[in-house]
Amino acid sequence: MKLLEYEAKRVFAEYGIPVPKGAVIRAPEEVAAHMEDLGDGVVLKAQVDVGGRGKAGGVLMADKATAVATARELFSREIKGVPVREVLAEERLPIEHEYYVSIAVDRSSKQPVVLFADAGGVEIEKMAAEDESAVRRVVVSPLLSDIPPFLMRELLGDAPKELAPVINSLYHVFQGKDAMLAEINPLVTTARGVYAADAKLIVDDNALARQGITVNRDLSEREREAEKHGFSYVELDGTIGVIGNGAGLTMSTLDLIEFYNGRAANFLDVGGGADQERVMYAVRLVASMPKVKVIVVNLLGGITRCDEVAKGIIAAGVEPTVIVRMAGTNEEEGRRLLAECGYRMLESMDAAVRAAMEVAE
Amino acid sequence: MIYGDKNLGVIVQNITGRQGTFHTELMNAYAREVGGRGVVAGVAPGKAGKEVHGAPVYNTVKEALREHDATASVIFVPAGAAGDAIMEAAHAGIELAVVITEHIPVHDAMKAIAYAKLHDCTVIGPNCPGLLSPGECKLGIMPAHLARRGNVGVVSRSGTLTYEVVDELTRAGIGQSTVVGIGGDPVIGQTFVDVLARFEEDPQTKAVVVIGEVGGNLEEEGVRSTNLPVVTYIAGVSAPPEKRMGHAGAIIEGGEGDARSKVRRLAALNVPVASRPSEIPELIREVL
Repeated sequence: MKLLEYEAKRVFAEYGIPVPKGAVIRAPEEVAAHMEDLGDGVVLKAQVDVGGRGKAGGVLMADKATAVATARELFSREIKGVPVREVLAEERLPIEHEYYVSIAVDRSSKQPVVLFADAGGVEIEKMAAEDESAVRRVVVSPLLSDIPPFLMRELLGDAPKELAPVINSLYHVFQGKDAMLAEINPLVTTARGVYAADAKLIVDDNALARQGITVNRDLSEREREAEKHGFSYVELDGTIGVIGNGAGLTMSTLDLIEFYNGRAANFLDVGGGADQERVMYAVRLVASMPKVKVIVVNLLGGITRCDEVAKGIIAAGVEPTVIVRMAGTNEEEGRRLLAECGYRMLESMDAAVRAAMEVAE
Repeated sequence: MIYGDKNLGVIVQNITGRQGTFHTELMNAYAREVGGRGVVAGVAPGKAGKEVHGAPVYNTVKEALREHDATASVIFVPAGAAGDAIMEAAHAGIELAVVITEHIPVHDAMKAIAYAKLHDCTVIGPNCPGLLSPGECKLGIMPAHLARRGNVGVVSRSGTLTYEVVDELTRAGIGQSTVVGIGGDPVIGQTFVDVLARFEEDPQTKAVVVIGEVGGNLEEEGVRSTNLPVVTYIAGVSAPPEKRMGHAGAIIEGGEGDARSKVRRLAALNVPVASRPSEIPELIREVL
């Protein structure tokens, strides 16, 4: 789950990373009360979860005289379609130089990877694409609780040594907060020291509970409801409902519908080891979308048992036609149960998807 | 075959759990069918002295290995404790840990995999179905009756999609050497590169099916690393960006890892890319 900038900055501050003085406001007039504390020059930053926020008009400069009017302007904007409900008002830093630093999970080396660049404030992907040597990169063993000095030297090159403790603290944030990504862009030097001028923190969805996060804001209400029942659900805009077990097979079923020029209404992976009740709930959820004309159930039992799924489909007893393809663990019993209740079963996923297309048309 | 044959001794961690018990029975049924050793013992803290489908239960991996000759462990331990279970296995001398558990926090996975490496323990998974070498051994939860012994290796980030492809291959009369599900998480022990390196050293394997999905670029990395003939399939061509498609690792982030660009890059390497699973057998025949 992505944290907003001000939430991430609170975390950074807890870990000893200097952040600019700032205040979160929820109405334009509130900025006036903070001007004395923030000084004459302020930066107003829309707290919206979109990339390229600055370019999209989500960051405005103001001074004492213009702060309220500028805040009003910002609150009236939509940043890439997202309305502005919270604004972070910050002191304007006397920036000497901007750097880039991020720590992410590197799938290839299976370790944290730290990226550093001598230029900050720009899109790192673009910078790396233009000049690979502009971005330095080190991987750190996840068994270490600090970035060792030799790796820090390699990372920083000729950049000021005073950045090192901040980057090490960012590594502590990364580990302590179960982060998928912890980023400071730009990390700035000033006459008063080093500051995280911006902050980005994405927490691993599989670690939200132990991080004390009870609601995953990145999911819609329906998706959260689905998650509670143990399956993954993404709503799409077609007419063919899809229930699969396993993310790969379910994705592949969606792709196959597209291959035959159909449109899937959803992605629903009932998850490993789905029991009767979970399947029943899944079938009912998909059937509850008015646009759904037919539901394809594509099941290959491994940890999931076909007989449990069959019982769930039967228990759901929904209106749209349910077309079933099942194979794998306890396949015979599952097929027997469904056959008794008159369900249409097909031998292959191609055949099942084609049959569903006919019903949908 | 790779990773082990019918002589492999296997333990199951959390053997007394619902899935652990159920799949111990299936693994042992397969072992009996092929004349293998199967699950020789199980581990469940606090449950020593019990027996699950003929396998005696111990409190710790160390105690199980004191009494039994086993080098592989299949781990069904719940997500919060699974990282610890991997490290326990590695520490006790297990050489191959197959981690079925889903939803392990990625930091736990990184630490456990790094720790296992220090102890020369190979980790497959997490969030994987395990592996199956038809006629030799089954470690994990793959439905064995879909597979048939042969000379095509299969390596995949998915579980059920792998069974689908194996089913297609078998129906087309193409047998498999070993089928490996490497897992759907962002951080996994064995990647395509690692598995393909093993296939390359395996005299039985003549070609490999690589089954990938949205997220990351490990498929391309794997295909580049091998000299074996390879056929690929990438799931998620219709996946919307920034939406997690079931697997923790199946997400298009920052415009990276989408299926269409993966397909393009693989095609640029002159690797056949199937547009649906049912095309795979035909493409495999062409490269064999």
